[in-house]
Amino acid sequence: MRVGIIGCGGMGYHHARMATNCGLRVAACGDTVRSKAEALAQEYSAEPVSDSLALVRRNDVDIVAVCTPTPNHAPYVVAAAEAGKHIFCEKPFGRTVEQCREAIAAARKAKVKLFVAHVLRYFQEFEAIKAQIDAGKVGKVGFVKSYRGGVYPRGEANWFRDYAQSGGVTLDCIIHDFDWLRYVFGDAERVFCQALQRSEPDVLDYSLVTFRMKSGVIAHVIGTWAHPSGFRVKVEVCGDGGMLQFDSADAPISSMMREQAGGTPGMIIPSSPVPVSPYQLEWQDFVGWLEGKHPPRVKPEDGLKAVRMALGALESAKTGRPVKL
Amino acid sequence: MMAKIGMMSFAHMHAYSYAASVKQLPDATLAAIWDDNPKRGREMARKFGAPFISNVKKFLAADVDAVIICSENVKHRPMVELAAAAGKWILCEKPLATTVKDGEAMVATCKKAGVGLGTAFPCRYAPTLIEVKSQIAAGKFGEIYAASCTNNGSYPGGWFSEPQLSGGGATMDHTVHVVDLLRWMTGKEFTRVYCENGTLIHKKLKTDDVGVVHLEMEGGLMVSHIASWNRSRSFPTWGDVTLELIGEKGVISVDAFNQKVNVYCDKVMRAEWVCWSGNMDLGLVKDFVAAVDARREPPITGVDGLKAVEVTVAAYEAAKRRKPVPLTT
Ligand SMILES: NC(=O)c1ccc[n+]([C@@H]2O[C@H](COP(=O)([O-])OP(=O)(O)OC[C@H]3O[C@@H](n4cnc5c(N)ncnc54)[C@H](O)[C@@H]3O)[C@@H](O)[C@H]2O)c1
Repeated sequence: MRVGIIGCGGMGYHHARMATNCGLRVAACGDTVRSKAEALAQEYSAEPVSDSLALVRRNDVDIVAVCTPTPNHAPYVVAAAEAGKHIFCEKPFGRTVEQCREAIAAARKAKVKLFVAHVLRYFQEFEAIKAQIDAGKVGKVGFVKSYRGGVYPRGEANWFRDYAQSGGVTLDCIIHDFDWLRYVFGDAERVFCQALQRSEPDVLDYSLVTFRMKSGVIAHVIGTWAHPSGFRVKVEVCGDGGMLQFDSADAPISSMMREQAGGTPGMIIPSSPVPVSPYQLEWQDFVGWLEGKHPPRVKPEDGLKAVRMALGALESAKTGRPVKL
Repeated sequence: MMAKIGMMSFAHMHAYSYAASVKQLPDATLAAIWDDNPKRGREMARKFGAPFISNVKKFLAADVDAVIICSENVKHRPMVELAAAAGKWILCEKPLATTVKDGEAMVATCKKAGVGLGTAFPCRYAPTLIEVKSQIAAGKFGEIYAASCTNNGSYPGGWFSEPQLSGGGATMDHTVHVVDLLRWMTGKEFTRVYCENGTLIHKKLKTDDVGVVHLEMEGGLMVSHIASWNRSRSFPTWGDVTLELIGEKGVISVDAFNQKVNVYCDKVMRAEWVCWSGNMDLGLVKDFVAAVDARREPPITGVDGLKAVEVTVAAYEAAKRRKPVPLTT
């Protein structure tokens, strides 16, 4: 099967590699910035395309991977579905719940397979946490806390810094945790959120989110795009029989360069290598589904519900009140 | 001068450390012990080598300058009132009170009686937290925009989960320290409170054991705080006090008691974190003794205690009504 990548930025590059690792061929690369389409296309001897709506109709494309900024995920998903292509869509599934619904309806109507890339469900550490919970190591869970983030990303033309496009750290980053919470603990009943969303004098976002799950579990999620550097993930799960903690800062490898390109000493870079990237595991899952081997770990409705959780949080931040989900 | 300190009740375990601190100070003596549980009182009298006086009137009539009150939370008010009427300087365990009405009455009573009332917030004497405060005060981080905090602990047992004695669970027990630290570090007051809490870990308790408190301070500073008894019995330590502060110029995180040695003892069969840092209770008691000597207001006042009570009470109200509660500053 042949893949067309739409959006040849950070994630476009990544997914082109993952798809290739799964034995797929990258046939076309679309980006509104011509040079980015060309650069990625060159690496895979693929066809660069400026008009990504044309890309979805190409005969040499069977799967469309949507890796653009969030607001145009849904329009490309709909176009790809109408062209009869299977779709791999980056999270957040859409910028609005309505967009997610349209995308789901289009895929259903066209009978194509639509996968939303909630990659946390494939991260080895998160799978290990889930396995410990499932094995009863912490007893019945009552409280969960997770923490994610680091420096504020930029992206092409600084789109991450435009809250109207990215939704800040709440919609773009900790949506990973929102989906994972649902995956492990079921649906959320209500949400309360405080979101920093500063633009002056610097673009900084920090989000404090509390979910009351339908099960009664309280989940607190902290998202930061307010740190000067780095990236860190922490998880804590507390139950009536024990508790568990994970901290990405507690890594097996850490390195530090005496001098960097700019002449300044580098900071400590932690790393935690895994034999297979979770991004590749999600592609394997997606491809296995396309081949009729098994259902996918993430369904389009999961993508929609995660967006609803994030938008509920942002609504709460705006109104100062809890929002029922 | 030698300040003569009396202990009123050992119901709260912090009393042990405060009594031991009094014993350590060269300018203070542990003059007398009273406890409404005479068995416990006598035991403590033996342990600390101080006379036990079973009658509270006799205790207050004795040659005692000041009292440290470590009773169950709801008994703070009647004990403060008795001590104030007897003209004693008072250091009261946190939370100062379980209702705003009680807290206000205690502050007013002490003011009228002309005695000093202090609230036991020993975290202000933790070297780690003093360092963070001084860096913030020096302007290193510019304006503080946001904070995420925790005061987690293991379930203390006993009266702590008897609502008629404690006034509430983990949210009551573990909100006030961080609320006080944030007021102390930023100089700002709290304006709004939301809370989700419940009995989530120890299912049989009559009180909540986890509270997530969302707070707003003057100028819009946004805060989340976890007040909990969620630490399992196998966890290497009793709990924590942590703050991550997001400022204009940078970020600072503190894990107040993370000055530790990791111990793995086969006899214990549970990893232990042994904290080697300074004794913050000693600092608290030392400053209180100095205030007693000088007959001035203790540095951490009854009003500081009351402010933290207001936030905690509002948190319970918000949790019950499922909507944010404004605070008047
Ligand atoms: N799963 C993850 O771990 C993860 C990590 C980062 C980003 N993401 C998600 O991936 C998506 C892309 O993020 P990124 O970091 O790669 O951003 P990026 O800015 O690096 O890349 C986006 C690319 O899309 C192009 N583009 C913009 N508008 C377009 C349009 N209308 N049509 C075609 N191309 C267009 C841009 O020119 C750019 O090359 C976002 O939705 C983001 O939330 C996911």
